[in-house]
Amino acid sequence: MGEKRKKGDSMNLSNSSRRRQSITSLKTTIPLAFKMVFPNPIYIAIASAVFTTFWIVFNVLDQLLFFSPVFTFYLPDDAIAGFIITNITSALMGILVAMNVYVIRNSGIKLDRSLFSGSILGIASSACASCSSIGFLIISTLGGFGIFATDFLTNYQTPLRVVSIAILLWALYSVHNKITKPCILDSSYPKRNGETQRKRQPQQQQQQQKITSSTSTLKTEKDPTLTRDDII
Amino acid sequence: MALYYFGIYTLMVKHKANNNNTNTRCSESITVYIVIATVLSAALVYSQAYSYSYKQFYTFAQTQNPALSLSNLIKEGQPHQGSTAALVTLIDFSDLQCPLCGRFVKATEPQINSTYVQAGKVALVFEHLPNRGFDSLPAALAAQCTNDQGKFWLYHNLLYKNQGPIDSGWASKDNLKKFALQVPGLDIQKFNSCFDSQKYKPFVESNLALAHSLGFTQTPSFIIVKSDGSNSQQLLGPQPFPEFKAVIDKELGA
Repeated sequence: MGEKRKKGDSMNLSNSSRRRQSITSLKTTIPLAFKMVFPNPIYIAIASAVFTTFWIVFNVLDQLLFFSPVFTFYLPDDAIAGFIITNITSALMGILVAMNVYVIRNSGIKLDRSLFSGSILGIASSACASCSSIGFLIISTLGGFGIFATDFLTNYQTPLRVVSIAILLWALYSVHNKITKPCILDSSYPKRNGETQRKRQPQQQQQQQKITSSTSTLKTEKDPTLTRDDII
Repeated sequence: MALYYFGIYTLMVKHKANNNNTNTRCSESITVYIVIATVLSAALVYSQAYSYSYKQFYTFAQTQNPALSLSNLIKEGQPHQGSTAALVTLIDFSDLQCPLCGRFVKATEPQINSTYVQAGKVALVFEHLPNRGFDSLPAALAAQCTNDQGKFWLYHNLLYKNQGPIDSGWASKDNLKKFALQVPGLDIQKFNSCFDSQKYKPFVESNLALAHSLGFTQTPSFIIVKSDGSNSQQLLGPQPFPEFKAVIDKELGA
């Protein structure tokens, strides 16, 4: 029993120390992901374009931005919380799309699914700020159930948007992992590196031949499995 | 939005197809596609806004509807405020449970009232469009019952002031009667008999029919019309005062 408890304690300790390590590593890896992606003006342009588009869409749906008869933006007291959430969602969308494009360009990794779910949730909940426009359609087609559906979306609009932000943050976490993982060195690094170097030697020879024949392009864009040493 | 996802998906597929013979052209094309998708999305939003404004100004502008004349609306018993000799009528189609209608009443209506209604230039008329929840119809019936005693606007403001989430019970029949008790000078017995008998159910249904005939499904929706029922123009949603000012000034000047 005592040994078991000791084992359990040591397991808990190692788990908590791992958690602490992962949290402290986030402090370095998230800025690292930003440093890797955003020095390139193309990604800044993508993030800005996505942010602007989503900002306009969200604020039009929230009935805060009007194009006619005169172009007006106004922020009544009841819409301040929603407006703050909208800005956060749009900014996260911009960052995520830019980071996902970076991942697609630099590797064959699939686009993160949580980007879709987060953004769809954000759009659906903000669309229901002015739900009455589609409310009639839903009510007339679904009857009483439609009223329940629109009531739910309207009444729980803010919590739903907060959930969408949480999903987008999760997407940010996973996409930053994809960007930074190839650059992180762990305790087994020299051994692994030695193994991979040996395994990759014939491949690298082939690549060298390709590189010399093609125009001068970055190595990192060709092979996502390259380690930091390779990059350096 | 769909364009984004379609664009990104296309890029993924193309990138995978070209993955074996990687070249810089592929990664450049990704950026090009993303930028194109963004520009197209922005264009879509703009075009929708433009078509909306076009509809707003020109669909109804040329038609004349005697049903929308101020004299007819007053004759029918619609709640109204402002001079009966006003040149322009602002008809508000609202639901007493709708949060965006509440935003209009709190943020925009006071400015319209002080600028145009008090000055005798515009008459404000209320039409019921109870489509937001199960408690919307009882709220409309109760409000119309207060109009019998000339207390509609007091009751209307009281309900919007105490508005809660849709169908949360704040506009239940009991609560609507309790709100009526707070209206000074209202004969409660008359109100209760009117409310319990659903006296104004056909009236509210006729309001709904008029709203649907005009194509209104969103609350709040507005028609700004010359008092003889001509030159009507639509505004949809709880738009800010400058939007109303632009349309009303145009009507007053036209």
